[in-house]
Amino acid sequence: MPRSNSPEGEAKGAVFRVLLMGNPNVGKSAVFSRLTGAHVIASNYPGTTVSFSEGLMELDGQQCTLIDVPGTYTLEPLSPAEQVAVDMLEEGDVVVNVVDATNLERNLNLTVQLLKRKVPMVVALNMWDETLEHGINIAVEGLQERLGVPVVPTCAISGEGMKDLQQSLKRARPGVLTYEEDERWHLIGDIIEQVQQVDHRHPTIGQRLSHATVHPVIGPLLALVMLTVSFGVVRFVGEGLIGHVAEPLCNWLWLPVMQGLSDLLGSSGFIHDLLVGQLVDGQVSFGESFGVLTTGLYIPVAAVLPYVFAFYLVVGVLEDSGYLPRLGVLVDNVMHRLGLHGLSIVPMMLGLGCNVPGALALRVLETRKERFIGATLLAICVPCMAQLAMIAGLLREHVVEGFLAVFGTLFLLWICLGVAMNRFTRGATPEIVLDIPPYRLPYWRALLQKLSMRMKRFLREAVPYVLLGVLVVNLLYTFGVIGFFGKLFTPVITRLLGLPPEAVGALLVGFLRKDVAVGMLAPLGLSLRQLVVASVVLTAYFPCAATFVILFRDLGLRDMVKSSIIRVVVAFSVGGLLNFMMTGLGL
Amino acid sequence: MRTNLADLPAGKTAVVVGLHGGYGAMRKLDAMGVRPGKKALKLSSQFMGGPVTVLIDGRQVAMGRGIARRVLVDTTD
Repeated sequence: MPRSNSPEGEAKGAVFRVLLMGNPNVGKSAVFSRLTGAHVIASNYPGTTVSFSEGLMELDGQQCTLIDVPGTYTLEPLSPAEQVAVDMLEEGDVVVNVVDATNLERNLNLTVQLLKRKVPMVVALNMWDETLEHGINIAVEGLQERLGVPVVPTCAISGEGMKDLQQSLKRARPGVLTYEEDERWHLIGDIIEQVQQVDHRHPTIGQRLSHATVHPVIGPLLALVMLTVSFGVVRFVGEGLIGHVAEPLCNWLWLPVMQGLSDLLGSSGFIHDLLVGQLVDGQVSFGESFGVLTTGLYIPVAAVLPYVFAFYLVVGVLEDSGYLPRLGVLVDNVMHRLGLHGLSIVPMMLGLGCNVPGALALRVLETRKERFIGATLLAICVPCMAQLAMIAGLLREHVVEGFLAVFGTLFLLWICLGVAMNRFTRGATPEIVLDIPPYRLPYWRALLQKLSMRMKRFLREAVPYVLLGVLVVNLLYTFGVIGFFGKLFTPVITRLLGLPPEAVGALLVGFLRKDVAVGMLAPLGLSLRQLVVASVVLTAYFPCAATFVILFRDLGLRDMVKSSIIRVVVAFSVGGLLNFMMTGLGL
Repeated sequence: MRTNLADLPAGKTAVVVGLHGGYGAMRKLDAMGVRPGKKALKLSSQFMGGPVTVLIDGRQVAMGRGIARRVLVDTTD
């Protein structure tokens, strides 16, 4: 019950806190997006890497905080995310235990543990609509009586029961249930027998499809189709948004402003070059001028954001439909050869969006060996969407061969390097134990909420860094630093990699932002061979600064030094090899 | 007949009789419904020592081959 319902209690720390708790994949985030408004933030739990969402909810005319606690199967923490769930329990005022009504027995395991803790709670019997299809009949009254707390049937996706759930919070109370630990399943079995009736059910189409996706032969074929379609959609949506929305908007709205500013500043001079950049044939060019207000704004907003949007849209659908764990099962085998396990495909895929969330997601890996291999592979072989979008722009005229060369190389490198590191890194890679949720149609509201949170995060983090990156580029040029390093590293850059000396600028800026670095290659007029070599080396030699900091913190000094040596050696030897091979092939 | 989830052929049903692996993995299996007395339908195992997928209480649970070997089951037929 509200500990403080006086207005003074609004001060931070005294706000009434409602916790959404439940097993993974029970529709918790759908309940969350139903109960909260637009003001939702994702944050990390202090001192950990586990992220959770927080939003505001109205309760009896009072604002209170609703927290989407990471999903957990038990209160006996087996993973960092579960530890966070247990810790958060201490800070909540009332718990909404979200239960998958189609899988009551397993879900009640957490429910009875929560009841034993004597926290005020209510139970949401979510996915209530699906119980009918499954031939499941639950006596809500009976369940409520046994548990001693309010039980409300809900269907978060249609919104059914959400009002009742909100109302029921007033009646939240601590459970009365007690039991001995070794009697827990017995007690649950007893409750189930009393309140649930199951009629015979035929496997639905979804279930049949679900079995097919983990079939050893059909599964990988479906996965190939799935991933091809996903990348096709990302490219189609990304390019479509750039060509039909972002570019025209920039050209109609922003270009005249910049052209005017350029005239105002007299078309040259330090301030002009800093803000507007170099004119190309007397005109402002968003791609090549490299001013803070021209290229600096154009890169994150017009060239990269459309791809980031497309990528997170597709990843969101893959996540929410339940496909990712199945992919994890299919690739587990291969991943074990790289010293990782199936679920490490998730950080790698997230890394394709942005290496930072990828690096954060690596923290779910359990052993030092896995984290070392995962971090090194992510830093070397996984380009982020910001970089990819820019590469896509550069390779526009050689889409097929260019992409094949860049990605083929990175993928081969990923496999070979993984196998090598697996052999030479000491330590173990644990096996997976994985719950595979049924396929579900993603709920658009939760999907859009997640998408907008990720886009906001990208804009918040990318825009300042890109602006800073472009500023740094200009200052480096102005003070002759790029020229100096260009001369210093000429042998490596020109002889080994076959790039013009100016490309050293891209490598310098690549420490900060990869998209800006790739953007710097645009005015150099590189050949296909040079573009491929530069793209691969830029991906491999260093992750961006933000990713580096996270990996450094997670791996520690020794492993990070080792990982960095591998990275630099691999980047330049592979770049050189590519250069000689492609020159040999007459490209 | 007494066997384990790794050796149980795909498409066969068996009753779980014991979990004999490491603490963490077995607690996790227990929480996911893989525990003595439960009927399990083996759905698939991936090639070359890949993970095993079973259906328990209408839900799919996947586990590494080594873990599956430590889940003892009795075949029903």
